Amino acid sequence: MDNLFFVLVEGVSAAIAFVLVWFMVKPYRMTGENRFLGLPIGFAFLGVSYICMGASLSLGESSLLDEMRWLQLFTGAYAFVFIAVTYHLSFETHERKARLLMQAFASLTVLVSIFLFIVVFLPPVLAFPSYKAADEYFKVFNMMLALYVTLQTLRSHALKPESKTILAPLGYALLAFSQYSFLIWSLDSSFSAFIGAHAIRIVGLLVFLFVSYEAIIARKNVAREGQV
Amino acid sequence: MRDKSEMKRLRRDRLKVYMDILSIIRAESRREKMVLTHIQQKSNVPFDRLKTYISELLELGLIQDEALPKLTEKGLKYITEYEKVLDFMKLMGLTYR
Repeated sequence: MDNLFFVLVEGVSAAIAFVLVWFMVKPYRMTGENRFLGLPIGFAFLGVSYICMGASLSLGESSLLDEMRWLQLFTGAYAFVFIAVTYHLSFETHERKARLLMQAFASLTVLVSIFLFIVVFLPPVLAFPSYKAADEYFKVFNMMLALYVTLQTLRSHALKPESKTILAPLGYALLAFSQYSFLIWSLDSSFSAFIGAHAIRIVGLLVFLFVSYEAIIARKNVAREGQV
Repeated sequence: MRDKSEMKRLRRDRLKVYMDILSIIRAESRREKMVLTHIQQKSNVPFDRLKTYISELLELGLIQDEALPKLTEKGLKYITEYEKVLDFMKLMGLTYR
């Protein structure tokens, strides 16, 4: 199967994204603040979008192909929206305001999901652009959000610069660049852009995996060492 | 009567104070004799409230000996996990506190 390699790459990307969910949920579990909940949800959506992409590559001419492609677009966009909202609210100094904004965002997400389900997956209610056109719009949208998160993380880095705090902006910049590369592939069917997009995305996810490993697993028990 | 969200908020605020107190106890553990006054001065918590917090930490099994508090194994593990998550948040560019 020609697409087997890319299906495998999607599978590996999804696996990394789901491992990252385990790390990303920790800030929410420790602080109990729902503004941090967008991070694990975002990475879970990323994982689901990679699975949908892998499934659409392996489905060939199946009748489910269209649904899977649309699902991949929406879950991918949801992922970046959740991550961007988390970073936006992370800078919110008023905890109560951040909580209310997160609740409003969650309600809006449910409404948008219902709307999209009606528009895309039920027999045509509204005229919707072709998949190819929508795919390009979504890639631009995702790229903008990933760039926004890159800037937010760079802002954090600039406030307290440390050698490792540059890794998060680097990871998000790579995800943004991979969206750009997917866009190029979508526009001119360049195979090298398609390969590049996958490679860049995997490297971006590995950067997050490295950051998570360094902070949670590799960090020695400083407290234990401090204890006499 | 406090509603659920208020209780949740209080729990979060309290968590931050607990962590401050536990960190001070750990930092002060090299002293031969650590008294509550030292903790009170560093944590900037009124003495009567500090005593309440110390009792709660004792109940949770995070410290031992109310008069001369010392971290238990559980307290040490808890503070280590908390610091790991704070470090992770810092590396991920998330702002907290």
